[in-house]
Amino acid sequence: MNITVLLKQVPDTTAKITISGGKVDENSVSKWSMSPYDEYALESGLQLKEKTGGNLVAITCGPERTKKMLTDAAAVGADTLVHISNDGVTDSTHVQKLLAAAVRRFDSQIVLCGKQAADTNSGSTGPGVAELIDAACVTLVTEVNYSEGKFSTIRPSNSGTEKVAVDGLSVFAFDKGTHELRRPNVRGIMMAKKKQVESITSGDLGVVLDSSNVTLNSQNPPPEKPAGQKFEGAEHVNEVVSKLRNEANVI
Amino acid sequence: MAYEALDFYDVDSLLTEEERMVRDMVRDWVDEEVIPNIEIACREGVFPDEWRVALGEMGVLGAPLKGYDCPGLSYTAYGVICRELERGDSGLRSFASVQGSLAMYPIWDFGSEEQKNHYLPKMASGEWIGCFGLTEPDYGSNPGDMITKAEDMGDHYLLNGAKMWITNGSIAELAVVWAKLDGVIRGFIVEKNDPGFSAPEMKGKHSLKASVTSELVFQDCKIPKDRMLPGVKGLRGPFSCLNNARYGISWGALGSAQACFDSAKDYAMSRIQFDHPIASYQLVQNKLSWMLREITKGQLLAYHLGQKKDSGDWIPEHISLAKMNNVDIALEIARVARDIHGANGILDEYPIMRHMANLESVKTYEGTHDIHNLIIGRHITGIQAFTREA
Ligand SMILES: Cc1cc2nc3c(=O)[nH]c(=O)nc-3n(C[C@H](O)[C@H](O)[C@H](O)COP(=O)(O)OP(=O)(O)OC[C@H]3O[C@@H](n4cnc5c(N)ncnc54)[C@H](O)[C@@H]3O)c2cc1C
Repeated sequence: MNITVLLKQVPDTTAKITISGGKVDENSVSKWSMSPYDEYALESGLQLKEKTGGNLVAITCGPERTKKMLTDAAAVGADTLVHISNDGVTDSTHVQKLLAAAVRRFDSQIVLCGKQAADTNSGSTGPGVAELIDAACVTLVTEVNYSEGKFSTIRPSNSGTEKVAVDGLSVFAFDKGTHELRRPNVRGIMMAKKKQVESITSGDLGVVLDSSNVTLNSQNPPPEKPAGQKFEGAEHVNEVVSKLRNEANVI
Repeated sequence: MAYEALDFYDVDSLLTEEERMVRDMVRDWVDEEVIPNIEIACREGVFPDEWRVALGEMGVLGAPLKGYDCPGLSYTAYGVICRELERGDSGLRSFASVQGSLAMYPIWDFGSEEQKNHYLPKMASGEWIGCFGLTEPDYGSNPGDMITKAEDMGDHYLLNGAKMWITNGSIAELAVVWAKLDGVIRGFIVEKNDPGFSAPEMKGKHSLKASVTSELVFQDCKIPKDRMLPGVKGLRGPFSCLNNARYGISWGALGSAQACFDSAKDYAMSRIQFDHPIASYQLVQNKLSWMLREITKGQLLAYHLGQKKDSGDWIPEHISLAKMNNVDIALEIARVARDIHGANGILDEYPIMRHMANLESVKTYEGTHDIHNLIIGRHITGIQAFTREA
């Protein structure tokens, strides 16, 4: 059985982001990493593979630099590495079409991904791909288990957690999961070095991308945090309480 | 904030992708598991056993050795591993140096096929810890005059004598011990439970507190005949181990230096005195700029030596230069970083004082700073100056 994991490379959560000309300057990003929610999806995929056997296919859509992330995935156990060159595509629906076509090509029974990417945070990939491949979709999962041909997942509910079981082709979008992504080891790294990344284009996938009706107008850094305020002595209690209530909205 | 290693000349871009992946693996582990726990380990004076397990699981022990389930990485990768470990703590790097270069290496190079098959896989996985017994109470820089001796008793060897300052001694499953058999230095593998062998821990260190240091005592210690390393006689045995460990230290010291630089830079940027960050004053900038200069030179030295180790085109004097220089600058950088931190520099909230105290040991072990000067001096002049008698 093939298990597919969709991975996105994003600026590391600790990397400094600079904006130039109203856009994030990708060249100034000091460190690129696998999006954290995708890491939980990958770990879950690896654990399922250990149970069910089969092949773990890691797919990403992005520029050349994203191949490095696939090699990192191979170092922890991904078997097939697929890189779809995105030719500057940023429209989520386009990315979903490319990913869906790649998922079909590798004939997976389940697809795992993060609930949202740490850079754009749009959260549309999982449900979007599910729609295109006509699969069930469970979002915000923290765990996926397999027994007797069925997948069951844990996700939050109104009153705690719920267990959702699905049959057939399914997409699971991960929240912060139960298991952190395992650390690679030297053996895995050496194996990863030998693994080829399969590079494909929209043409190879037979996907024709119509012109996008999404335009990104501008990106802005978050507003700077105002400086902290310091109060000393009991005479300020009323003032502090009022600020906490009316400005910080915490009490 | 995540650690961003100072790499002014982008020396790490010369590493292979595999070497960079190994670097990131070890760096992440040090950030997540070592740095949050190191001060407690130092206060308690223990080497956390989880670290042994993790090093084995990552598969970095005995990094450059090939076969027998050893990692088979490049010497450059081994250097990078030492650097990343020592950014955490010199005691952690000492553990890995001793295990890989001083205990596994002699078995790998000079051991019998049976010895290699028996010991190396379990040492590479971290299941068995090894130690290296060369130094004696009365023979440090001058190990050739050691008095620990072995006697051939027909069906076994009998060891008598004592070793001192032995890293990992009390936690080791086996010790590679250098002793004289009929006046000739030979290597012997002594196991933890061999009769007549004990390894009491040395307490009270102000340096390398998270590393175990022990005496090894042999009182009519009886070991089977098949425990002698067949492949080497004389000082060449221990010295070839030391060459590899010293090489690793030349990278490792840079890890400490980079940690100190990192902390000093952050501190100088945020500490306000006389209304401005101290980083804005020329005297402080001079210190930071000197640190960057020395670290960058040290990185080029270590990288180039790594390439020489990998191509086989090196002489021991090359290693002496790098060990001596990089430990020397790391120690001085730690001292200057301590100065920049002011009083805060003595607290264990910052890594400075710990690195500084650690580096005092690193300066002394594996050939003291001046012994390396003498090695290079002999290379330049052809005249040995270790002893008055030639
Ligand atoms: C924490 C720690 C861990 C260690 N781990 C190990 C281990 O695992 N295995 C092991 O075998 N050993 C180990 N050692 C021992 C270490 O290798 C020795 O301490 C080192 O070789 C120096 O020997 P010494 O301490 O006896 O100093 P000495 O040799 O007595 O030197 C004292 C001083 O005299 C100087 N000196 C000596 N001879 C000369 C000369 N001819 N000319 C000029 N100056 C000279 C030295 O440079 C030094 O400054 C460890 C030491 C420490 C501190």
